Amino acid sequence: MLQGALAGLAAGGLYAVLAVCLTLMSRLVRVVNFAQSATGMFGCYVAVFLSVQFGLPTWPATVAGIVLGGLLSALLGWIISTWLAEADTGTRSAVTVAVLLLLISLSFILFGNKPQPFHPILDGPALTVGGVVISQVTVVTVLLAALVAVASRLVLSRTSAGVELRALSERPTTAELLGIPAKRLSVAVWAATGVVSTLVVSIVAPSQSNDATSLAMLVVPAAAAALLGGFRRLDLAVAGGLVLGLVQGAAAQVDGLSVARYFLPFAVIVALLLWSQRKEVWDAAR
Amino acid sequence: MRRLGAVAAVVLLTATGCAGAESGSGGPIVVGSVNALSGAATFPEASQAAKAVFDAANASGGVNGRQIEYKALDDKGDPAAAAAAAREIVGGDEAVALVGSSSLIECEINAEYYEQQKILSMSGIGVDPACFSSPNIAPVNVGPYHDMTLSLLYGSEELGLTDICALLEIAGNTLPSYQAAIDEWSAITGKKLKYLDATVPYGGSDYTSYIVKARNAGCKAITVNPVEPDSIGQLKAAQAQGWTDVTWLLLTSVYSENYAKAISNAGAGVYVPAEFYPFTDAGSPQNKDWRELMTKNGIPLTSFSQGGYLAAKYFLDVVRGISGDVTRESVTKALREMRPISDPMVGTPYVFGPGETHHGNTAGWPIKLSSGTNRWELAADDWLRIPARN
Repeated sequence: MLQGALAGLAAGGLYAVLAVCLTLMSRLVRVVNFAQSATGMFGCYVAVFLSVQFGLPTWPATVAGIVLGGLLSALLGWIISTWLAEADTGTRSAVTVAVLLLLISLSFILFGNKPQPFHPILDGPALTVGGVVISQVTVVTVLLAALVAVASRLVLSRTSAGVELRALSERPTTAELLGIPAKRLSVAVWAATGVVSTLVVSIVAPSQSNDATSLAMLVVPAAAAALLGGFRRLDLAVAGGLVLGLVQGAAAQVDGLSVARYFLPFAVIVALLLWSQRKEVWDAAR
Repeated sequence: MRRLGAVAAVVLLTATGCAGAESGSGGPIVVGSVNALSGAATFPEASQAAKAVFDAANASGGVNGRQIEYKALDDKGDPAAAAAAAREIVGGDEAVALVGSSSLIECEINAEYYEQQKILSMSGIGVDPACFSSPNIAPVNVGPYHDMTLSLLYGSEELGLTDICALLEIAGNTLPSYQAAIDEWSAITGKKLKYLDATVPYGGSDYTSYIVKARNAGCKAITVNPVEPDSIGQLKAAQAQGWTDVTWLLLTSVYSENYAKAISNAGAGVYVPAEFYPFTDAGSPQNKDWRELMTKNGIPLTSFSQGGYLAAKYFLDVVRGISGDVTRESVTKALREMRPISDPMVGTPYVFGPGETHHGNTAGWPIKLSSGTNRWELAADDWLRIPARN
């Protein structure tokens, strides 16, 4: 059971990083970004394309993919903050669903639906704890999740850009009237989360089955993890991601539960939504 | 000898020409197929290959003086679309037979309809159990179930492996068929699997926990029935765990150039019984005609295109022997009564025959992918066959 749980930790780290990105986006630019992992997937696929078609070595190709992931995300951010600046969160988020579907289709059209020869940036075991092998990918994704969460917190609380971002997220109109460059800051948040999610997908994709749909749909467990922190708290998002990964890994060890593991994120989402709505009366909740 | 052959050909041509003239039907012979051309998992090559064979036949005068009109319809991996495609070809276009179909679900959906309509289907690549258990469908390929028996036989008998485990990805009602394939292996060898896990999901993103479970169970070799991305995920999960001495006994479903390129660490080797003579053996005389035709038409060299090519070739062989009009009735009769056809691309002769089920192809050619090579190599110099049991 413990071994299984630790085996799920790599996935947990990945969920946690994506959950932190989702939480930042929701807090700072009022978007639930359904295209969060799709952007990462697309950046990754382009990296593989560059390496296979143009013979670029793995590292520069990966960096190019990560930059592209950031640019794609920034472009989407620019579009939303230009034309949907005043729209509510639901409308802004709906646009990202379209982008998710667009990116999946586009990757099928451009790269086909055959598996791509990803070259691992990290591979092999990192350490063995009591007979349990922890892979390098696990170590790096878990550290990255913690690092991104801590760095985001520091930026938000200690830097002037962070203060401006918080002002924008709390009172957007007031902040803009005070001369805070709303659009520029929003696009920067989009770009940063795009870079981080492409980075983590680039680390993990070579170590798992990496078809476009399964990579793009990583947003579902990530959303379940982000929901634990109410799309506001970074620490709970990290914890949520890790716990979800551990539980999924442990569930796979038990034959009866194994099938259920892929429904876990949905179950978590439903349970958390019901819990958060528990004090609402029917009329207000529906 | 050559002269005799030429005389025979002239006699045959004259006879068939006369037969065509007597029946008075000069329109095209409609042949169809139902394929996964779009959707999540696509196999477009089988019907492309069949079309290339028919185009070549048409260019050299057609069959009994008539052209073949080949219709390859898309089932999109969707049951409703598969049913509609079959009805369009069989009911609407009045096809005489189905040739070279390759789809994940088509047999399951259309088997009964084909029985009602008294039409026969020579699938290029049969996948689901109904392809191998229906009186009206006889796939050209070995199929995943015999393939699994062969893979296990090769592992235990040729490689001498012990402690073999199975991780099965079960879609729909395929579990009993895989179980039967494993039981077949046990009956032949008297050996048992160390461990079987039939809960492995299709399209799962991270297979680490299944790999950890298998490793803890003491498996030294693993047989899996994966599609390419899943298998890549499983091999990489094993690699990340530092499990590099495990042997993989996989199925033709992973036999592609892409897969070989994507795998850098294949543990103690990936072994696959290729359902047709291995296409990666470039200079082989067995594949020469197929390779030339595919290259000329720009069709990918894969097992799927081998299946489509063979289905069309067998079909032409049988139809050319029909004296009289080529109709659905005469084609069905000819296929039911045909003599087995041998081809160097397969280890078992093809025959449709009158059977209630058709699962006759029982030979695979063992091939191997070693760590770091990124290419498939022949692992044997002859076909591996499932021994007949009494």
